[in-house]
Amino acid sequence: MKLERINTELAVRYMGGSGRDITSLMPLISECEKLLLEAAAPAYIFKHFAITGTDEGISLDGTDLVLTGSSIEKHLEGCESCILLCATLSSSVDRLIKTLSVSDIAASYVVDCMASASIEDICDAAEQEMKQKLPDKHFTWRFSPGYGDLPLSVQGKLLDVMNAGKRIGLSVTDSDMMIPSKSVTAVIGVSGRELNRQTRSCLDCNMYESCDYRKGGDRCGSQETS
Amino acid sequence: MDLRKLLDNKEFVYLDGAMGTMLFDKGLKMGEIPELCSIDRPEWIIDIHKQYIAAGSDIIYSNTFGANRFKLSRSCKSVDEVIGASIACAREAAKGSSVLVALDVGPIGQLLEPAGTLSFEEAYDIYKEVVMAGSEADLIVFETMTDLLELKAAVLAAKENSDKPIITTMTFEQNGRTFTGCSVSAMAYTLEGLGVDALGVNCSLGPKELMPIVKELSAVTTLPIVMKPNAGLPDTITGEYAVSAEEFASLMTELIPLGIKLVGGCCGTSPAFIAALSAEFADKKYVTPKRELNSACCTPAKTVIIDQPRVIGERINPTGKKRFKEALMNNDIDYILSQAIEQLHAGADILDVNVGLPGIDEKDMMVRVVKALQEVVDLPLQLDSTNPEVIEAGLRVYNGKAIVNSVNGEEKSLASVLPLVKKYGASVVGLCLDENGIPKTAAERFAIAERIVSRAEALGIHRRNVFVDCLTLTASAEQEGVMETLNALERVRKELGCQTVLGVSNISFGLPAREIVNSNFLTMALTKGLTLPIINPNIDAMMQSVRSYKLLACYDVGSVDFIAHYGNSTPAVKAPEQTASLDLPYAVANGLKGEGARITRELLKDKEAMEIINTLLIPALDKIGSDFETGKIFLPQLIQSAGVAQSCFEVIKEHLAASGAASESKGKIILATVKGDVHDIGKNIVKVLLENYGYEVIDLGKDVDCQLVVDTAREQNVKLVGLSALMTTTLPSMEKTIKLLRENNIDCKVMVGGAVLTPDYAEMIGADYYAKDAKESCDIAKLVFGR
Repeated sequence: MKLERINTELAVRYMGGSGRDITSLMPLISECEKLLLEAAAPAYIFKHFAITGTDEGISLDGTDLVLTGSSIEKHLEGCESCILLCATLSSSVDRLIKTLSVSDIAASYVVDCMASASIEDICDAAEQEMKQKLPDKHFTWRFSPGYGDLPLSVQGKLLDVMNAGKRIGLSVTDSDMMIPSKSVTAVIGVSGRELNRQTRSCLDCNMYESCDYRKGGDRCGSQETS
Repeated sequence: MDLRKLLDNKEFVYLDGAMGTMLFDKGLKMGEIPELCSIDRPEWIIDIHKQYIAAGSDIIYSNTFGANRFKLSRSCKSVDEVIGASIACAREAAKGSSVLVALDVGPIGQLLEPAGTLSFEEAYDIYKEVVMAGSEADLIVFETMTDLLELKAAVLAAKENSDKPIITTMTFEQNGRTFTGCSVSAMAYTLEGLGVDALGVNCSLGPKELMPIVKELSAVTTLPIVMKPNAGLPDTITGEYAVSAEEFASLMTELIPLGIKLVGGCCGTSPAFIAALSAEFADKKYVTPKRELNSACCTPAKTVIIDQPRVIGERINPTGKKRFKEALMNNDIDYILSQAIEQLHAGADILDVNVGLPGIDEKDMMVRVVKALQEVVDLPLQLDSTNPEVIEAGLRVYNGKAIVNSVNGEEKSLASVLPLVKKYGASVVGLCLDENGIPKTAAERFAIAERIVSRAEALGIHRRNVFVDCLTLTASAEQEGVMETLNALERVRKELGCQTVLGVSNISFGLPAREIVNSNFLTMALTKGLTLPIINPNIDAMMQSVRSYKLLACYDVGSVDFIAHYGNSTPAVKAPEQTASLDLPYAVANGLKGEGARITRELLKDKEAMEIINTLLIPALDKIGSDFETGKIFLPQLIQSAGVAQSCFEVIKEHLAASGAASESKGKIILATVKGDVHDIGKNIVKVLLENYGYEVIDLGKDVDCQLVVDTAREQNVKLVGLSALMTTTLPSMEKTIKLLRENNIDCKVMVGGAVLTPDYAEMIGADYYAKDAKESCDIAKLVFGR
């Protein structure tokens, strides 16, 4: 698949530029947009699993993956199944950011922010497809390892279950960092019944303490439910 | 029977189908380690192997795909135990038949540097362990690989620790690339060079979707082609594969004209698929594919076919360049990278890399520079050294097919360099000189070229991989020698059919108007058959000659490239009225990089460097900094200005180096992204800002070992260390680094920064300062150094 467009508004927000005059940055932004659209080779995979509550946590049927903690339990309340989603913008984007950091550090930063915005778009596209495939179902928002008390260390197992290394080239380092870096994994609850539309709040985020947006009275933009 | 005989005796060699798919059918859960079944459920594994043998497999793959130290770390079994048990299962199943057992090896599961944290050397060790554990197998298969460098580490581990035949297959997506961006041609040139026995593709797509990929492959390799596709594409929700066994087999027959030789299946296939394949292929004949074999060099993402003149950029070389020497002495790798990127943009196809300088460890530097260059530029490299050890170290870690510069007609050189070229599958530049120096006549130089080619061919290096350099002599000193060089070159091209290399710039040494001489000599050489000019591509006249020649000699069909470069060029007169009003602070404030460097160059004609820095650049940066603090501008604008200032400082450094003066440093600062963390963009921004303010930054990079920070701080007597971490999971290594600095009584301050850090946390882990952004890190430096 191709990256069709870039949500520049969100990218500028990531740069800390909400409501600023960005005229002087426009040449750089359009140049970076071109580079990123050219470099990105986004991909996603998702799979639907029945879930069972166990003493340890929520177990995904047919796998040895157990999601632990009260946050994910709350997130999946009222769901009889869930979808695992893995999405990535591809390693060529990491490479672009690195190359630019040598030749044009500002461009490197701008592309980095644009890529962060774009991976959200790719996840949205994946969700659209899920909704088409399962038209009668209701979905929760995307809950990622590291949110609340769902440990980041589940990342490796989640990728194994999805065979994400083989299928979209997504892997994880010893310190649970995903490579390519502009990637997302998420758990989406699925239910036959209407769900209480929980809103993702800043409290669910692992950046709660240190978030620059929040300090400045702003939001990063990922709070809205879809 | 061994693989080589099997390939000779049979029209087609049948491999097996999926192992994982079969295990899931037997009840394996997703996420469990399939290789452990060889120990816990050997009857499952033996049964699966037997089913494949009954279906017609000539070679079965052992259940060892992920049996490496990294993937088994969450089990309590060793590599030896798992591989031993798996091979035993395969042997048991194959008992009484002539079926061969392949040690099946997949990717490690962790990405190699530079994208990941695993080093080439560690990857080699992991594969070495696997290869040694699989000594009971008949051959070794590396499959589902996506990273060419990881595969190279694997192949070297196999070649250096066993004598078994090797089959390699990589996994390509519909865009014709692997996930890490490796192309089909890069795979073919690199692995055929490394001397594997068969190569091809497996997994990811079905036979139909893989058609264009096999087509591309069959045109560029002489090796037997392996084809092990999936049963079509999986359904996104259920994960089921759509293609039936019969359909699969019939689609595979369509690939026979492309020259496939070893056939089997990957995900979603079963013994039924192999049975269908062997039935469908039974009355078919192997077809030798049509090939167009060319001289080539490559990196994963870029293959340069030498079917027309290709430019080798000469700028990564300290000879006669004070600024470059200074960079080598100071480990300033970024400067070397900037030289690479500049040549890339100017139009170089290949980059020569020479880092030889008295007083530095050339071998270590070559390895570091090759790794660093390959992280940021896709151009193939020509490794340039007179020391074979340096050449070998560079070749080993080089990702792709490189060029070695050089071998010559001397016995010592032939005996030490050519075996390296063969082992690592490179191409080589052959210099037409020997024990007696450079011969005067074309005939004598041609004779040396012939000798080099025949020695290379005796070692199995094809002459398309020997690039002959007939050697440019200086026209001012040996005027009659110029035509001898060109005549020799013409003969080499015509009579030996080899590619020809020539370092062009030497021709004009000692003459005025060197560019005129160089570009005309270049054109003369091109018409005589020069295919690999080594030039400075940053000089317009040189690239103009190359591009005009390619247009006139009909390589640039439809003049597309020429028009793209010169079509819009209105007469190159700059508009002085406009630039006159631009001053340095304006250029810095407005992100005008080119202008900043140009104005600095102008100013240096009648101002002292320090005066420019102190009266123009620093005040401009201060203004930008305070605009940032008061919120008038935001981060990308600050960085953009910092980038302009950086280019101004580079001009000043170059100026100072040329005049023999040293740049003044306000103090040394170490910057490092801590162990386990590979997100270093924040650190890179901080670096640019600190350098702008005149601090000397020792950039240790990302994923930095705690001990290296301590050692560097001690050795270089560094007073300020900056550490960055982006993830909560890597904060402990930040803490560990600080602790180690304190335990070793290093007299330095530590500042920390990164997205997940807070001032409280910084204090808790013992940092002296918390920097909330790049600007603040400069304020901290000012505080620490008092200026």
